[in-house]
Amino acid sequence: MAHKKRIRISTGERIFYIVNYFFLTLLGISTLYPFVNTIANSLSSSRAILTGEVVLLPVEWTVEAYRQITTQGRIFHSMANTVYLTLIGTFLNMLVTTMCAYPLSKRYFPGKMLFVTLIAITMFFGGGMIPTFILIRTIGLMDKYGALWLLSLFSTGNMIILRPFFQQLPAELEESAKIDGANDITVLVRIYLPLSKAVLATLTLFYAVGWWNSYMGPLLYISDPDKTVLMLKLKQLLDQSQMAQLHPEEVGVVKQIVAPESFKAASIIVSTVPILCVYPFLQKYFVKGVMVGSIKG
Amino acid sequence: MKTEIVESEQLQGAKALKLNKRQRLWKDIKAAKYLYMLIVPVMIYILIFRYGPMYGIVIAFKDYKIGDGIWGSVWVGLKHFRRLFNSYDFYQILRNSLMLNVYSLVFQFPVPIILALLLNEVKNRFFKKTVQSILYLPHFLSWVILAGIVIQMTSPSTGIINMIIKSLGGEPIYFMSNKVWWLVIYVVSGIWKEAGWGTIIYLASISNVDAQLYEAAYIDGANKWKQTWHITLPAIKSTIVILLIMSMGSMISVGFEKIYMLSNDYVREVSEVFATYTYRLGIQNVQYSYTSAVGLFQSIVNFVLLAAANYVANRMGEHGIW
Repeated sequence: MAHKKRIRISTGERIFYIVNYFFLTLLGISTLYPFVNTIANSLSSSRAILTGEVVLLPVEWTVEAYRQITTQGRIFHSMANTVYLTLIGTFLNMLVTTMCAYPLSKRYFPGKMLFVTLIAITMFFGGGMIPTFILIRTIGLMDKYGALWLLSLFSTGNMIILRPFFQQLPAELEESAKIDGANDITVLVRIYLPLSKAVLATLTLFYAVGWWNSYMGPLLYISDPDKTVLMLKLKQLLDQSQMAQLHPEEVGVVKQIVAPESFKAASIIVSTVPILCVYPFLQKYFVKGVMVGSIKG
Repeated sequence: MKTEIVESEQLQGAKALKLNKRQRLWKDIKAAKYLYMLIVPVMIYILIFRYGPMYGIVIAFKDYKIGDGIWGSVWVGLKHFRRLFNSYDFYQILRNSLMLNVYSLVFQFPVPIILALLLNEVKNRFFKKTVQSILYLPHFLSWVILAGIVIQMTSPSTGIINMIIKSLGGEPIYFMSNKVWWLVIYVVSGIWKEAGWGTIIYLASISNVDAQLYEAAYIDGANKWKQTWHITLPAIKSTIVILLIMSMGSMISVGFEKIYMLSNDYVREVSEVFATYTYRLGIQNVQYSYTSAVGLFQSIVNFVLLAAANYVANRMGEHGIW
């Protein structure tokens, strides 16, 4: 009786549905499996890894790799640096993106077209890696986080996502506030920002993930080991372990490492966990952001 | 009496309008002073940090020496471009960039479209949500992490893939140091990271399709396949075209991080692209002028390709990106 209203499904379609579910399940498993395997490797003994016994679950459980990570390699030091870089960077990004999007969302003010054009050009043409590098060196920002923050102070793409949100807010809101004596900045802070919380959250996450994963900027501009960031450190640890595997006799720094494979796996996991912790938020807001971007694009 | 006053007022108004155009502009500017307080610092920033490097491009036509500065360095014209076009490296990195992009376009580009079509057919919401959450995950992780996992899994001695091959009696494959296998890994890892994420935009445009179209097609006897072919695909055509244009526009650029993480000395012949070449020669070997020329060449070609792809799209009756 419950199936009374359902459109009849032909045999061919039923086969399609079964195959579809099966295929998507398989795809999900193969997307996830590399992570599962890495977790298993990080918790297994070196003997088990070398003999290929680790497939799905850790074999001969050991947290030795994690213990080594906490005592050496200073990965947590670089993680603290990355948190700092991300917090300040994201704050500056949101500040500047708003400062840019709000005036440009107004219907008219003298010079608006000039500003829009100047910004639009930078989307199609840029100076490139080397001239940018020379600029940073000339103004003495090498080895300073300031270089990274300034170079990625805001993304034009995110500004383009934010602007229509301001534009679609009813003009009456602003007019009545202005009659009550509010100026443009008060209107922005007291009315526009509270009404755009969802899109602001999305952009904050866009920026924060960008900072967390940033690699190329720090590679070019940060060489002080004390200021190194998580992704640089992770790459360095991975390379060292790789060397330890290929030429065990030559490597001094990581000689203590018992099992390079599980050390590598453990450092990968340690760097991934923070992202996993906030993944539910990330997914929700990122999907929203892409939807908004796609409608405008 | 009354009409006279109104008339004279109108007359005065018109005069004032003509006379005070400048004053009105000034008034508009004053009314927007807080807007300028917001935008002007941003524009100064853009001029220094976005346009500054564009000015720096002139060193591509000079022999840049750090002590002389950009302005003071000796002008050498097209010397660096001549060196670039005469070098064997140039043809290699150009070929690699094109090749990697063509492979990505052929093998990677269609995957999100197919996946979106398949996901759209899933009726069970919990199943759909779970699969989507899993497929989106790699997008949020950096290439350092993903390449680390890939290298570990493909390792000839301890990687799980070679473990399986060995247990089946095969010889271990050196995935990362064999040029052909490296390309396969390059494409597959790209699909792993971005294919799931790429479905979002297609799923959004599929969900905009009017359900009545499907009902009408069903009544007319169209099966699933025909519905997909005649309703869904035409509906997402413009999205596909726009994404295609964008990937055309970056046909000779390959992202730095992915290559830098996956590549190694054994496969440099097929993995060296403009970005890694610029990094190696420019930053590491301090050949600033030459690599600026490389960068300039690249951005000009990108722009031309983008314009060409956009032109073709407009001619095909699709809306391009401008």
